[in-house]
Amino acid sequence: MKLKRLAVFAAAIVCLVDLSSCGTTSFAPPPPITAELARAGALQHVDLAALREGRALFVSRCIECHTLPAVSQHSATEWPRIIDEMAGRASLKSTERDAVLAYILVARSQSR
Amino acid sequence: MKKLRLACILILAFSPSISFGGVRHFTFLYEAPTSARGSLELENWVTWKQITGPDRSGEVDFRHELEYGVTDKFQVSVYLADWFYESNKEHSGFAYSDSAIELIYNLTNPVDDPIGLSIYGEIKAGDRLVELESKVIAQKNLGPLILAYNATIEAVWEGKELENREGEFSQAVGASYEISPRISAGIELLHEFVFPKWRDEEKIRNLFVGPNVSYRRGNWFVTVTALAQATDTDDEPNLQVRTIFGIGL
Repeated sequence: MKLKRLAVFAAAIVCLVDLSSCGTTSFAPPPPITAELARAGALQHVDLAALREGRALFVSRCIECHTLPAVSQHSATEWPRIIDEMAGRASLKSTERDAVLAYILVARSQSR
Repeated sequence: MKKLRLACILILAFSPSISFGGVRHFTFLYEAPTSARGSLELENWVTWKQITGPDRSGEVDFRHELEYGVTDKFQVSVYLADWFYESNKEHSGFAYSDSAIELIYNLTNPVDDPIGLSIYGEIKAGDRLVELESKVIAQKNLGPLILAYNATIEAVWEGKELENREGEFSQAVGASYEISPRISAGIELLHEFVFPKWRDEEKIRNLFVGPNVSYRRGNWFVTVTALAQATDTDDEPNLQVRTIFGIGL
C-alpha cells in the first residue's frame, strides 16, 4: 500500500516537473503603463485612462478562466476576434471590451 | 420536495448561457480571483471516496452550488444541496447532508501583486450539523503556471443536540500548468490536522496528494483531481476523486 501511495506521489511530482519544463511562454506580467506606452497610445489615439482600464481588466477578468497570454502571442488582426469571443464569458461591456483591446494592441506594438 | 429540487437543478444546468463565473483549475483548493460582477455560474461537484480499514466503505458526495459575482471583488455562493450515497457492511443509500452559504472577498491580484490574496467565510447547516469555515487563499500566476495555497480553519458541531464538537486546520498547496488555452494539468496536496472535541490528544494528521486536470470550452469547464492518502488513517479515504463541472448561466 505504501508503495502504491509513493508511486502516486512520484507520478504527480514528475508530471508537474515535466509540465513546467515544457513551457516556452514568458513569465513576465503584461507590460505596465509607462510613459513610453502612454506616448505610443497617444499616437494610436488611445488615452491614458483607457490604457489603464484596459490593463486592469486584462489582468483581473481574463485570469478568472485562464492564464494570460503574452500580448505578442497573437497578431494585431487576430486580437479583435479573440477579444470578441472572450468578452461575453468575461462579462465585459462594449466600452470595457474596447479598452482591453486598445491596451493589448498598444502594448503589442511596443513589445519586441 | 426532492423532485422540485431536482427539477430546479436540471433547469439551471440546461438553461441558455450568458456569462461565466470562472474556471477552477483545482478541486480541493480555491483560487484568489473572484467572479466578475453580475456573472452567475452553476457548479456540480461529485466526490468519490474509497475508505479501507475495519469499516470498509465507499461514499459518493454531491454538491450543487450557485456562484454569483456581487462586485468584481466579492462573490457569494449558495450550496443548494450537499447529499451523498454511502455503502458499507451495514447499510447503503442516499441522504441529504446540508446546505451552505459561502462568501469570498478578493484583496490583491495574483498577476500584478507579489501575491494574490482572498479571504473566505462559510456557514453550513444541515441535518444535525452546523459548520463554520474560514480560509485564507493565496495565489501567484507566473506565465502559464498557477500556484495556489489555502489555509483553512473549521469548527463542526454534529449530533442530535449538536453535542459532538470537532475542529480542523488544513493546508492545501497546488500547482496547475496551462498546456493549451483549453487544458491545464497539475498537482494538489492536502494536509489536515483534526482535533476531535477541539483537542489535539489523538494527533490525527492526514496527508493526501495527487494529480489534477482541467478542461474548458465555451461557457463550461470540468476539473478532476485524484488524491491518494499518504498517511495511515483508517477512517479517511485511501483514494478520493473529485470532479467539478461548472457552467455559466
